[in-house]
Amino acid sequence: MSRDTPSLFPGTLELIVLQLLSAEPTNGYDLSLRIQAISRDVLNVNAGSLYPALYRLEHKGLITAEWTQTAAGRRAKTYSLTSRGRRQLVEQRESWQRFAGALVAILRVS
Amino acid sequence: MIRRLWLRIRGIVHPGASERDMQDEMRQHLDRATERLMARGLSPREARAAAAREFGNLGAIQEEARDARGPWSRFVSELGQNIRYGLRVLAKKPSFTIVAVLTLALGVGANTAIFSIVNAVLLRPLPYRDPHGLVRIFFNEPGVGLRDIRFSQPELADLEQRADVFEAVSPIFEGSEIVSGAGQPERVEGLNSSFSYFSMLGVTPQLGRLFDSQDFVPGFAPKLVISDALWRRAYGADPNVVGRTIRLDSDPYTIIGVLPRGFRHPGPTVSGDVEAFGAGGFTGEPFPAPLRGKRILVNGIGRLKPGLTLARAQERLTAMAAQLRRDFPGDYPPQTRWTIEIQPLQDTLVGSVRPMLLVLLGAVILIVFIVSLNIANLLLARASGRQQEMAVRLSLGASRGRLVRQLLTESMLLSLIGGVAGVAMAVGTLQLMLRFVPGSVPRLNEVSIDWVVLAFALLISILTGLVFGLAPAFHSANAALSAGLREGGRGSGYGTKTGRLRDGLIVSELAFAVILMVGAGLLLRTLRELLTENPGFNPTQVVAASIELPNPNDPKTDPYRDIPRRAILDREVLRRMKAIPGVELAGLTSALPSTNTNPNAVGGIVNEGFAIEDRPAQSSQDLRAERIRISPDYFPVLRATLLRGRAFTEDDADGKPLVAIIDESTAHKYWPTSDPLGRRVRFGRDATLPWTTIVGVVKDIKSDGLDIDGVPHIYVSLYQDNGRRLSVVLRTSLPATVLEPQIRRGILSVDPGLPIFNVASMNAVLDRSLATRRFSAELVGGFAGLAALVSAIGIYGLLAYLAGQRRREIGIRMALGARREDILRMFLRKGVALAGVGLVAGLVVSASTASVMASLLYGVRPHDPAVFLIVPLLLFAITVFASYVPARRATEVDLISALREA
Repeated sequence: MSRDTPSLFPGTLELIVLQLLSAEPTNGYDLSLRIQAISRDVLNVNAGSLYPALYRLEHKGLITAEWTQTAAGRRAKTYSLTSRGRRQLVEQRESWQRFAGALVAILRVS
Repeated sequence: MIRRLWLRIRGIVHPGASERDMQDEMRQHLDRATERLMARGLSPREARAAAAREFGNLGAIQEEARDARGPWSRFVSELGQNIRYGLRVLAKKPSFTIVAVLTLALGVGANTAIFSIVNAVLLRPLPYRDPHGLVRIFFNEPGVGLRDIRFSQPELADLEQRADVFEAVSPIFEGSEIVSGAGQPERVEGLNSSFSYFSMLGVTPQLGRLFDSQDFVPGFAPKLVISDALWRRAYGADPNVVGRTIRLDSDPYTIIGVLPRGFRHPGPTVSGDVEAFGAGGFTGEPFPAPLRGKRILVNGIGRLKPGLTLARAQERLTAMAAQLRRDFPGDYPPQTRWTIEIQPLQDTLVGSVRPMLLVLLGAVILIVFIVSLNIANLLLARASGRQQEMAVRLSLGASRGRLVRQLLTESMLLSLIGGVAGVAMAVGTLQLMLRFVPGSVPRLNEVSIDWVVLAFALLISILTGLVFGLAPAFHSANAALSAGLREGGRGSGYGTKTGRLRDGLIVSELAFAVILMVGAGLLLRTLRELLTENPGFNPTQVVAASIELPNPNDPKTDPYRDIPRRAILDREVLRRMKAIPGVELAGLTSALPSTNTNPNAVGGIVNEGFAIEDRPAQSSQDLRAERIRISPDYFPVLRATLLRGRAFTEDDADGKPLVAIIDESTAHKYWPTSDPLGRRVRFGRDATLPWTTIVGVVKDIKSDGLDIDGVPHIYVSLYQDNGRRLSVVLRTSLPATVLEPQIRRGILSVDPGLPIFNVASMNAVLDRSLATRRFSAELVGGFAGLAALVSAIGIYGLLAYLAGQRRREIGIRMALGARREDILRMFLRKGVALAGVGLVAGLVVSASTASVMASLLYGVRPHDPAVFLIVPLLLFAITVFASYVPARRATEVDLISALREA
């Protein structure tokens, strides 16, 4: 669906969500803005495809959601990391770093 | 963790919540994105569109989001949508929906009704305390081919004390009692048992108390328990009835209790429900001294000790019987191999109607499947019209699985609506339908629509929904995938895949119809066989009525205590009957033909051993015949054929030499090579009894039922040997209804205390004996007719559809020179091919399963060639006709317009 952007590796979006939520609990809309801001031009994620990822994480019990009032006075569904989610983030971050390091090394050699 | 659990529970209990959450969340996202874009200067419309673009395909994302929550949550959230959408689709095509719902309602309704009978009669446990412990006890002599013989008081005591098997045992004597007092004497159904009868069944009275061990007396206790019905009828539901005196067969009894409303005796009765329950000890007057060889007790029932299995109990009884045979060789001759057998009480009660009910259930299930195959065909035809709709939905983000689920939901909705309508129909008409079920089917009063029946109706609805929904659902989802948007749904023709599917549906429909028709054919042939069966007499212009003599416990008060006294009554009754104007001849018998008299009932038919003079005593053990007592004019009244010798005369009376007439079966069985005339036989085992001389041979009369052959009978003179149950037979040209008042008046003038019942023409008596067979044959026959009609409609519908689809092709063929006959033949060939495959498949299945019906057939083999020839020919003719009409129409295609359409 997002034709002009590199497609994400499977599980990447989930990792990004976990990482961003570990900083502070936030809602879906703000999360999508943040992803766009941080990874502008490289990862052009369809805003909508964030939601299935969120529900998947919630279903797995890595994050949890709650309806809260935002600073602007709106009702918004705010997601935060569970302790399991926190452990999962540490694991995945390590394995991604190992993977990325190896990939970079291979690409540099050839 | 707890929160997660809570969310999940909420998702299950309240499926809308998570769906609403998602909708809210995404709407807010879009709102905020729109606001942001508007802040950058876009118009509201542009901003809304840009935000939507940025968000992506909303439908597809929501689908994915539902998937992300796990299959259950997705299913639940989707279901509501599917149902709403499905209802809209059904409402849009009301004619299709109404036809489908009505046919399904008929199918499910018939299933519900038949199953409610099966459930009440066969499946539901008997309505007594711990019903699985109740057994019927049989005493058998397999060595001489005898089953359910009588037993003696010492044998009863062995069961109670020695066997270590039973908690309680009771013999059951059923019979009529004459309740006298106010007004006309009334005949009620009575029963005598042991004092443990009620505690064995676990009954609580609604008034007073029931029998227990404190009531024990060796003879009959002068106490009585009455049914709710008798209490209401005879005593106006008087709450002070306990303690009052009631006269039964002129003996006074004190009423000690009234049974609860629904109580019924678990066993066969002479006619109707038992209303008077007595009890006795069976060891003192009027019973003979308790000798082992004095076998007077009948119909043993018992309750197994708790925890004892049927197999274990049977082992112990078999062992005990073996021991008894060794201990008392005089009472148990070794060649008889006397033994004791137990069977679950429920099996013995309903075993006889089980095959009939299962065949009926099979028939209605077949019908509902035939109907649903037809609906599957309708849905398939409709599916091609919905290809475009499916393609659009696919492109909007629906997955293939989603489409299949959507279509299945539609089918399920259809079948469930049909199911609810069917159950409503069954509930509304159940009482009416039960009136057509023959009264000989036991436990009919227990038939009701309970949750088991409802569960069955639901299961049948779901199954039919799957049968007619699955194929079209997968088919359309696949077709939509391949067709895509471009084709616009105007299918170019009859694709091979769809074609094969629809052909398969028609073929299986026809095969089911064949099975049903073969079953119906066999049952109807059996019925016809029985209706044309020669009963050995001429039943037309014969009217019958039954009488029962009272049987008081004190012989001194009994006006009919011995044979001569009873013979006086018999002669007097005959004299009065002959005096009725319009009666040509009158006879008396102890056993009216085909009334299925319970051979163990006191009186009626006596099935007992006899000895033949000059034959070794050893072999005389296995000589058995049913003894029927008749008056001299009995054979002339029935127009039975006396083959040899003479009939009885008025001179064959008490004090004269005893005489007997045997039927052909007896003659063939016991005198296969010699002349029985003049031979002498002796009834019973008592060697001091006098001999009876055979004076005649009569053609077989079907005394035990039209479907029972070859039972040997010995007729004896009523003036020399008589009992208390009598039937009058009159040869007359007047109908029974006209004669009834005069018959009653005549008999009551002899003794105003005699009850008269079952006044009917002999033809009606025979007809009643066939009621169960007639009912099942006609019902299955009706189902078979319906099946043939429905499958003809199926073939018709398929070919009509094909003709419509292939208009263009036909036009081209005809433009290229094909004649109308060629087109006609093309379509006919299609119909004939389908019919042929379906017929062959159905015949193969029928042939391999017909033997399950063997026990329901009489005079017809399960593979009756006529049935197996006529059914396919008939169905073939029907399908050819059903194919001809649409084929004919196909040839009437207007060439120009058909080609122009292209």
